[in-house]
Parts: sequence; structure tokens; C-alpha cells
Amino acid sequence: MSETAFPAQTAPCPPPQSAAIEIDASCRLPLLGLFGGGVLWLFLGTLFALIASLKFHDPHFLANEPYWTYGRIHAAHRTALLYGFGVPAALGVGLWLLCRLGRALLAGPGVVLIGVTFWNTAVAIGLIAILCGDSTGFESFQMPGYVTAILFFSYLLIALCGVLTFHRRAEGRLYPSQWFVLGSFFWFPWIFSTASMLLLCMPVRGVMQSSIAWWYAHNFSSIFLGFAGLASIFYFIPKRLGRPLHSHYLAALAFWTLALFGSWGGIPGGAPLPSWIISMGVVGTVLTAVPLLAVAANFYQTARHNLDALDADITLRFTYVALVFWLIAAAQQIVGVLPNVSALTDYTWFPVAHWELFHYGFFALAMFGALYYIVPRFLDGNDPPAWSSGLVNAHFWLTFFGILISYLALLVGGLGQGIMLNEPKYSFAQITRGTLVALRASTLGDLCVVVGMIFFLLNFALLLSRHCCRCWNKKRKEGA
Amino acid sequence: MNSGPMLFLGLFVAMACSWLSFVLGPQLQLGDMRPTTNMIVGASGQIYPNPQPGDAHQGAEVYRANGCASCHTEQVRPRDLGSDINRGWGLRRSTGYDYLFDQPVLLGSQRVGPDLANVGRRMDAAAVLLRLYEPRALTPGSIMPPHPFLFDKRKIQGAPSADALQLRAPFAPPPGYEILPRPEARALAAYVTSLHQDGYLFEAPPPPQPAGKTNAPAKAVAPTNSPAK
Repeated sequence: MSETAFPAQTAPCPPPQSAAIEIDASCRLPLLGLFGGGVLWLFLGTLFALIASLKFHDPHFLANEPYWTYGRIHAAHRTALLYGFGVPAALGVGLWLLCRLGRALLAGPGVVLIGVTFWNTAVAIGLIAILCGDSTGFESFQMPGYVTAILFFSYLLIALCGVLTFHRRAEGRLYPSQWFVLGSFFWFPWIFSTASMLLLCMPVRGVMQSSIAWWYAHNFSSIFLGFAGLASIFYFIPKRLGRPLHSHYLAALAFWTLALFGSWGGIPGGAPLPSWIISMGVVGTVLTAVPLLAVAANFYQTARHNLDALDADITLRFTYVALVFWLIAAAQQIVGVLPNVSALTDYTWFPVAHWELFHYGFFALAMFGALYYIVPRFLDGNDPPAWSSGLVNAHFWLTFFGILISYLALLVGGLGQGIMLNEPKYSFAQITRGTLVALRASTLGDLCVVVGMIFFLLNFALLLSRHCCRCWNKKRKEGA
Repeated sequence: MNSGPMLFLGLFVAMACSWLSFVLGPQLQLGDMRPTTNMIVGASGQIYPNPQPGDAHQGAEVYRANGCASCHTEQVRPRDLGSDINRGWGLRRSTGYDYLFDQPVLLGSQRVGPDLANVGRRMDAAAVLLRLYEPRALTPGSIMPPHPFLFDKRKIQGAPSADALQLRAPFAPPPGYEILPRPEARALAAYVTSLHQDGYLFEAPPPPQPAGKTNAPAKAVAPTNSPAK
């Protein structure tokens, strides 16, 4: 097939400057709600992670009240991260990409804003419910049923506006980021409604519940968040480097193989399920080596002449580090499902290391990269207010090293734990003591991420106040 | 790749593949699982599993509400995967039958603490309550968080209560006081002690008896078609 027979865009083709400003302005309030709420939930969620982690230094820390017991605060941490930050950030960046790439104004900004308000309210109720002991108990799906209903309908409000925006696009050719955004928009309601119906409304019986909960958690992260993060990476790396994407065939290969095989898996090797289910998960996860290699090759070819430029731009720096972390996380997942490895690593800190790297290292960094680009532009497209570069650097390095410390500590600690667990001569108490060094080191990582988040929030607040001052001054001059 | 409807169709097919193989397929196979009498050992007509007693059922709610499953699994892996059985966490692997009466089913995905699938065989309610109140009272250096909010500290009036926790220094309450479990703690202990996966099913046979030490023939318990190891 020649290039002409397959005329997809090879580079994110920018709309004319004036149109871009108008498009960004149409996204202003909805995106401010999605991103502002998202980063606040991320901060709170990471703070919960820090509290949970501190309990490994002293189990008596905050032990007297039921609200802060490890099991609840851990569930609240995951929930704030996945639903408070993950979904809104994915939706926000997705909506913006659909607008920019389709050269269309955002459809129904008011509807999106209503959806955002309900979503954030539901997350707040859900977190309080979890801390009060009303969680469902399913990992990654802890919010009680009355909250999932609100979440589902507010998601539909937001995502439908995205699909309408896509439908109204002026640019007929599609760029890979659009496939990824639409994939993530479409994936979430399906898995979320399946999990809500079959786990909460009409619970299935016995281990079927676990099967569905594992499938849901795996699809939520690998596909929904994975697609959203990759959409941003596919857009920003070529755009900010000023080079076309090397190959859209490779991008298509990565997209379809990830959709097909990335959605299988997430079930531990020794689970009490029929072995065909477990084996299909292993096969699917191993086959995600195809999208892994396709994405790696595509971006290497795109960027190999400009590797120095990757560090020059803040969006680019966050985005390419996110890409590298995605590749490492995907590789770890493939290695981790091989039966000989999973016998050692299942139920240890090894999968938790993967969780941290995927959600903080890949997803959050990709979203931050996008936010640093998008937020100033939708605030004022003619003269985007500037981020304070000192705070940006502090945020980047603290987050980067925080994630790296947590990841390496949990990875090494998890491997050691798995190897010792496999030898019955070590008692369980001995093994637990062995993992403590790693767990305590990961607290340092969490602390770095929290401090980095504080710098980011400060920067965000400064940016907003600078913008508001400017607007106010302008209005006063016009009035005078 | 430029047509919106084709993109949606492709995504639909990919999603449907995943849904059919991980939701519908398993449901067709496991959805109508019923308690069984088809066991290797035990009196004929014995049924497995049996519903939880009421207090254990209430305790499962406490287990869920406090997120115990974020540190404890309730599943024993087969003998060739990990050392679960050699560690004494179970005599056989867990199967789908073991969870038929659980709601919700909380298999857990991390072992910060030991597996609890058969903890009812290893611990009585008093030991569970002590561990809930102060894990280090029984396991020095334990990293399990204490759960003092499941207990009441009361002034002893008259004779000490029979239910009071038997704590030694340095964990004992001040003289004249005693620690009493609240109903939630009792229910949780009832749940934890109710956890045991017995019922030797054909897909999960008991361990072969070591033939050397006793003279009992190993084949008396193990099924004839069990694998060599």
C-alpha cells in the first residue's frame, strides 16, 4: 500500500493560528474543571499513599481511628488516583486533542462542565464512603454502587461531547492520536458498566467476581489509561520536535494489537479459575510485545536525529520520559506473566512496582507534559501566560526521582520477597522483615512525588493568578 | 483508518473479543456452579461448600470495610506454583467451589501478610482478637497495623470480664482496666476462624501421604490418577 492510498496524517497538522486560539478558548472552562480537579485529587491521592507508606515505619501511626487504617487509606489512594485524576485527565487531554486535530470547537462545553461537576462530586462522596468503610472490596473498583451510577452518567455526558466534537471535525484525515483517544473514550463505559452490573447490581457468583474484577482493573489501566497516555505521546513528541511521525502503519499496528491483546490478562497465575482463562491472559500479555516494539521503533525513528531537542522543551521532556516508562512497564508486565516468573512474583511487591511505574511514571507524566502545553493556551491563546521555569524543573526532577526510587525499591524488594517466599525454610515474619528496607525506601519516593506535586500546584495557582490579574487590568483599562 | 464508523467497528470487535473471553466465557462455565457431593474422601452424601454461619457473614463485611484484602490473600496456589502448600497455608489448591457462598469474593492480590484461605485451621478466635488489637503481642516485629478501634477499654467493675483480652506487658492496659472486643471484632474473628478450605475435590486432591514414615498405603487418600508429584 503506498502512502497516497492511505492518506492518514503523518504529522499533527496544526490549525491556522487564529482558529487554534478560538478552539482552545472553547475548551477553557471544561478543561479547567477537569484538570484542576484532577491535579487536586492526584495530590490528595499521593498524600494518602504517603500515609499508607508511613505505616511501614510504625504500624501505630494513625492507627486509633478506623478512617486511616491501612486497608481504607490504601483503597482511597488508588481510587483518588484512578478516578479523581486518571479519568478526568484522560478525558480532558482527549477532548482537547479531538478539538485541535479535528479543527472543531468543543461541542457542548456547558454539558461537559455539568459532567465535570457531577464527576468531582461523586469522587468526593466515593472517597468519604471508602474512608468510612463503604468500599466494595474490589481492587481498582472500590467506590460503592450509588457513586458508580453518578460516575457513569457524568462520564457519558463528557465523552458524548467528545464524540460529537469528533463528528463535527473539519479535518477529514485522522491522526493516530485520534484513534487512541476514541479508543479510550469507548473502552471505559463498556468495562465500567460491566463491572457495575456484574459486581454490584446483580453480583455474579463465586470466583466469577474475581475474574471480572481482575479483567476490569487490567482493562482500566492498560487500555483506558494506556490509550489516553499514548494519544498524548503520539501528539506531542512529533509536534514539539517539529518532525513528522516516522510511520503511521507502525502506529496502526501498535493501536490494533494493543486493543486486541492488551485487553487480555491481569489474572494471577495460580488463581482458582479454569486454566484456559489464565492461559489466555498470559498469551495476550505476551503478545503485547508487538505494540511495545512497534511504539519503540516508531518513536526511535521519529526522534533519532533530534535526541538533544527532547530535553529543551518541558512538554517534550515529560512526554518522552513517560514514553520510556511505558516501555519499561510494558516489558515488566510481559516478563511478569511468564509462568516461571509469576510463580515467584505474584502477590509480592513486584506487581505493585509495575502499578506505580505505569500510573505515575507513564500516565501522570504524560498528562503533566500535556498540561504544561495546554493550560496556558486555553487560558489566553494570544499571549499564553508563562509557567515559572524554576518550579517546573523542581516538579520534574522531584517527580522523576521519586518515581524511580519507589519503583526500583519495590521492584528489588518484590523480587527478593518472591524468591524467599518460594523457599519454605524462610519464615513469613523473616520475609516481611526483609521487605521493610524496600518499603521504607519507597516512602522517600512518595515524599518526593508529594513535594513535586506541591511545586506543581503552586505553579498552577501562580499561572492562574497571573492570568486573572492580566484580565482584570485589561478590563479596567477598557473601562477607563 | 480515516473513517470514524470503521474505527468504532474495529474497537467494538476488539472489545467484544476481550469481553467474550473474560466475562461471558467464564460465566458460561462457572456461573451455575453449585455445591457438590462429588468428593474424594468423606462420607458419601456430604456436601461442599456449606454456607457461612451468620456471625462469620457479618465478619466478612468488617473484613471488606477495613480493606483487609489489600494485604491478605485467600487463595492457595497449586503445588507447582510457589510454596503455598509447603508453607502450610493449605492442604490443597483453592478451587472455585471454595468461594460459592462468599459475597463479595475477596481473593486479594498481595501478600503483605500471610494467606488466610485456611487460617481457621491455624488460629482460634482468642488469637485472632489479640492479633487484631495488637499484632506485636503474638508476633514481635509484625508490621500489621493494630486495630484498637475494634475494641473498648473499660474500667473493671467487680470481677474481670471473661471476654477481656489476655495481654501481657508492655501491651496490657493500665491496672484496673480491661480490653473488650466490640461486636465488629467478634464478628471479624468469627469470619477469620471460619476460613478453611476442606472438601477434597477431584480437581484439588489432598497431598499424597508420605509413605515412608507411616505404614498406611499412600493410595488410600490420593486418587489413582493423581500426577506423579
